Amino acid sequence: MNRIINYLIDVVRGVLFYFSQTKLRTALTLLGITVGVSSIIAIMTVLATFEKSTDQVVADVRTNVFYITRENPIEVSFGNNNKWARNKPKITWSEYEQLKRSLKLTKNMSAVVSEEPSDRTFSVGKKEFKSRLQSFWAADGDMLSLYKYDIVDGRNIQNIDIQNRSRVAIIGSAIKKELFPFVNPVGKEIKIDNIPFEIIALTDEKGEIAGQSMDSMVGIPISTYLKYFGGKWNRTDLQLVLESDSVENIDNATDEAIGVFRAIRKIPPGQPNNFYIATNDQLMDTFGEFTSYLKTFIGLITGISLLVAGIGIANIMLVSLNERIKEIGIRKALGARRSDIFMQFLIEAILISILGGLVGIVLGLSFGNIVALFLEQDPVIPFEWVFYSLQICASMGIIFGLYPAIRASRLNPIDSMRYD
Amino acid sequence: MTKSKKEIIGIRSVSKIYNLGDTVVKALDNVSLSIFENDFISIMGPSGSGKSTLMNIIGCLDVPTNGSYKFNNEKISEMKDSQLADIRNQKIGFVFQTFNLLPKLNALQNVEVPLVYSNLKRLKRTEKAKEALNIVGLSDRINHKPNELSGGQRQRVAIARALVNKPSIILADEPTGNLDSKSGTDILNFFDDLHKAGNTLIIVTHEQSVAKRAKRRIEIFDGKITLDE
Repeated sequence: MNRIINYLIDVVRGVLFYFSQTKLRTALTLLGITVGVSSIIAIMTVLATFEKSTDQVVADVRTNVFYITRENPIEVSFGNNNKWARNKPKITWSEYEQLKRSLKLTKNMSAVVSEEPSDRTFSVGKKEFKSRLQSFWAADGDMLSLYKYDIVDGRNIQNIDIQNRSRVAIIGSAIKKELFPFVNPVGKEIKIDNIPFEIIALTDEKGEIAGQSMDSMVGIPISTYLKYFGGKWNRTDLQLVLESDSVENIDNATDEAIGVFRAIRKIPPGQPNNFYIATNDQLMDTFGEFTSYLKTFIGLITGISLLVAGIGIANIMLVSLNERIKEIGIRKALGARRSDIFMQFLIEAILISILGGLVGIVLGLSFGNIVALFLEQDPVIPFEWVFYSLQICASMGIIFGLYPAIRASRLNPIDSMRYD
Repeated sequence: MTKSKKEIIGIRSVSKIYNLGDTVVKALDNVSLSIFENDFISIMGPSGSGKSTLMNIIGCLDVPTNGSYKFNNEKISEMKDSQLADIRNQKIGFVFQTFNLLPKLNALQNVEVPLVYSNLKRLKRTEKAKEALNIVGLSDRINHKPNELSGGQRQRVAIARALVNKPSIILADEPTGNLDSKSGTDILNFFDDLHKAGNTLIIVTHEQSVAKRAKRRIEIFDGKITLDE
């Protein structure tokens, strides 16, 4: 045991001295690992902030809600070559109305057109709302309650607005903050692509989902949207938001909706759906799948960069071995066993890679959290990845230090001591 | 040489043969040698005579091709690499012509090196190393690096390192070869003191003046012992 403590102290002392003698070389060797590790950590930090904020929002959104859309909003499938599934038609108003008539287990249903992000301009007088991530939606029914927005002031869109295609709008708190910083916006006019609308409601503050503000939004009746922005009724691709009467019933309600919609579209049995249907839970699963693909991809890239870094470690250990042949000979003559020299080299390689890893972790956490701050997320530390990174570094030290360590341990003391 | 003394080293019919492609070199040819407690021996011989090989075998850095070698009645010739390392660590103190100190360590740390490979706690290590440096009269130089010391001082650090584990024998290979005559004489006087204190010493040299200090002189030529008196 003392022997092992002795190594550690001696090796650490030796390594630190060696580093101080070869600053540039050590820095360059560390750089490879640092870059690899910092990129893992940075990306995992950013993903962790996304996941955290998304989880919060999902908890806010009702779980008895499900969606029918043309495409999976977060598509990650590769090579879905089924012809039927590839040519997905738009969801039309008539399909919506047929569905609405037939469904028994669905309590609420509305058609939504959602532009996220939208490139429409929202303006008041000459002042324009400036955000790249604004959303603009139009709904047939109560969109606000589906997403648990609360009205701070004003009234919700009502059937009469939809019937009359009224130019009325609901705005989010971020729009209010920028366009009406000092006055109550309800009753005032807002221009959407230069078409004037009356503001009928202001919603409460919802925060962000995956870096996108939920408050930079404007909502109008769907009939109004189709009249002024949508073109023809049957050409606009609708998203359907459905609500089952209870959370327990959501699977039955989803099954019913699938069956009815397939019947409306006359999809032959055995063919896949040519529309996408998902509950909130499934959407989150898809998001999780997306991030896991991303993680695999990043893992692959960092794997390659760490492999290169590892070769760098092996190289530097071999150089260090050549410089210290005489020292190894002396140590062996004075009683170092093969295993002592082996361990000394291996520990040194592990220390180098862990040191590089630590620098990488600090850089990665800083970079990742700067991105998080930029997206107005709370800072996070992905502890599991910090732990994995250190593990990866230690194993890299072992793998790439192995050969130099074996070579060092096999040196013959007599010849090595004469080496200059 | 009274036979009542304890035999430390028993070499019996030892040969060392090197195969260099098509030529076979007999560096040691059927050598037998006994070394006893508190011997002070010089081994002389021209270069290529086999004296380095003999020293390497005595010092457990090398194993003989044939014959048996017993150290404190333990059969060295049959030992594994790690056991040889332990013998070198515990029983043998090496002093080299070129000092062979580790340049990046200070005097104290250099003396501690053999202790790193024995199961000693750190504080005990430092204590023993300081003691050894005190014996060679370098207590005031413990924090100096080798390049801050004179040749004589460096060799004394090396001797302290050889002494630190209280070895059964001290094996010195041309210990004065890289020193001026004044420092060389100092070192040899110090070896005399070590002998008087009861240590067993073997000095390999090619200088008559050095060899004369020893109480027993061995000469080697062409791999054979030609003189032992």
